[in-house]
Amino acid sequence: MTQQQDRTAALVLEQASVAYGHVPVLEELHGTVRSGEAVALIGPNGAGKSTLIKAILGLVPTVRGRIEVLGVTPAQARRDVAYVPQADTLDPDFPVSVEQVVMMGRYRKIGWLRRPSAADRALAAEALERVGLSDRAKNRFGTLSGGQRQRVLLARAIAAQPRLLLLDEPFNGVDAVSQHALLEAIALLKQQGAAVVVSTHDLAIAHLACDEVCLLNRHQFGFGPTDEVLTPERLRATYGGHALELRGDRVIVTQT
Amino acid sequence: MTWLDSTVHRAMIEAALVGVLGGVVGVFVIARRLPFFTMALTHGTFPGIVVAALLGVDLYLGGGVFGLLVVLAVVVFSRARGQDFTAATGIALSGGFALGVVLVSAQDGFSKDLTAYTVGDVLAVSTSDLVITAVVAVVVLVVMAALGKELLLVAFDREGAAAVGLPTAVLDFALLAIIEVTVVATVPALGAILTVALLVGPAATARLITDRLALLFPIAAAVGVSCALAGVWVSTQWNIAAGASIALFCGSAFGAAFVASVVRGRLRSTVDVPVAVTVPEEAPA
Repeated sequence: MTQQQDRTAALVLEQASVAYGHVPVLEELHGTVRSGEAVALIGPNGAGKSTLIKAILGLVPTVRGRIEVLGVTPAQARRDVAYVPQADTLDPDFPVSVEQVVMMGRYRKIGWLRRPSAADRALAAEALERVGLSDRAKNRFGTLSGGQRQRVLLARAIAAQPRLLLLDEPFNGVDAVSQHALLEAIALLKQQGAAVVVSTHDLAIAHLACDEVCLLNRHQFGFGPTDEVLTPERLRATYGGHALELRGDRVIVTQT
Repeated sequence: MTWLDSTVHRAMIEAALVGVLGGVVGVFVIARRLPFFTMALTHGTFPGIVVAALLGVDLYLGGGVFGLLVVLAVVVFSRARGQDFTAATGIALSGGFALGVVLVSAQDGFSKDLTAYTVGDVLAVSTSDLVITAVVAVVVLVVMAALGKELLLVAFDREGAAAVGLPTAVLDFALLAIIEVTVVATVPALGAILTVALLVGPAATARLITDRLALLFPIAAAVGVSCALAGVWVSTQWNIAAGASIALFCGSAFGAAFVASVVRGRLRSTVDVPVAVTVPEEAPA
């Protein structure tokens, strides 16, 4: 792996193993993501991509090895980490407006017992502008399309001004317009120095948006620069029987 | 003789207080889909009230302690392997109510009071009942205002709330405790069975009227107070049970709002009937 001394490590995995109770989910993960870089977590369903994101958030314990976020433990780093869940995990009937959802990104910095200030409102409005949905601010969250809801959740994360951004399958079932908007907003965050971890099924997006790739299926099947790691051999190893080879140098994943 | 010496005046104030309380707390009950849990809680307070009456201690205290036990039981049971929240709630509901009935039936000459505990009697509230309800209302409204944004985030996105480091279990318990004290304060007026009407009806009605969270609270409170006062008034005019009248007004308000929303065509997609698609009688050759 190439060492870039000028960028600080935002996320360090050191032989990290993650478990729910006594059930090990991920074992022996090793790698580094630096500020301004994006890493794609790639692997089949049940590979442990969401679990790794939760471990980075400190919501699932690291049983062996170490996960270091922004130089401290995951729990200590939460203030500077933002998490974007899959939009369809949230209740579309919930009576909350788009701008209220984006403002939730500011809650942690506003603190207990306080109300959003004018500065918080400006940051939330700016974040919504960045994902191109300013005109929907007053709409109920659930009335937006799946892709638009995903963009609102990204705006919520942007409003939190994170140094590390975690996205769980943000491109699932998202239309082309929203995909483009998501990719642009993520690119801008990277430019501003944030590190990005994004789990995805889409190898093309990994190529497009990410500098590094982490191939996961319970174990790590590769972690490093996208071009070096996304090889047919490694994809076959990660996906087992569900990877098909085309013309010797390309791989189609038949089941994700 | 003061203004508060009148039974009807006391009933009106009690009704207004529980109307506001039920409406405002109900917004979270509806948003978090907790009506069934609230139902269990109302029934869970019942044995506590009976025990308190038997021991001669404060009814609120008895109901409050037992309601708290129900909250804990539901939380503990729902963590058991293969169980979910609704199963635990169902058991707590029937178990709590059954325990209350057993306790009542074991006492000679106590059975005639059963009705008062199950359907309440707002016309029987004392001035000290009023003071307790008022204190509960102030405390609940202050706590909800103070924790408003955190309760909102946990309700909307529990995992996201945990991800930013909010103590989700504590906030969950805070909300259940808010619902619990509201139930305990409302039970003397509406009884174990009918209390749920005020905690669900006005907020569900408000939800049909608006999508905006900021408007839900005042609308639900207004509907709650209106139903409660109308119920008391009808009950004194025609000498019918006040708790039941209030519950009927809550049901009617929801029914009216539902019909209005259908008429205005803003019924949400979950209940929408799919638009019929016309199929050509003959496929083109």
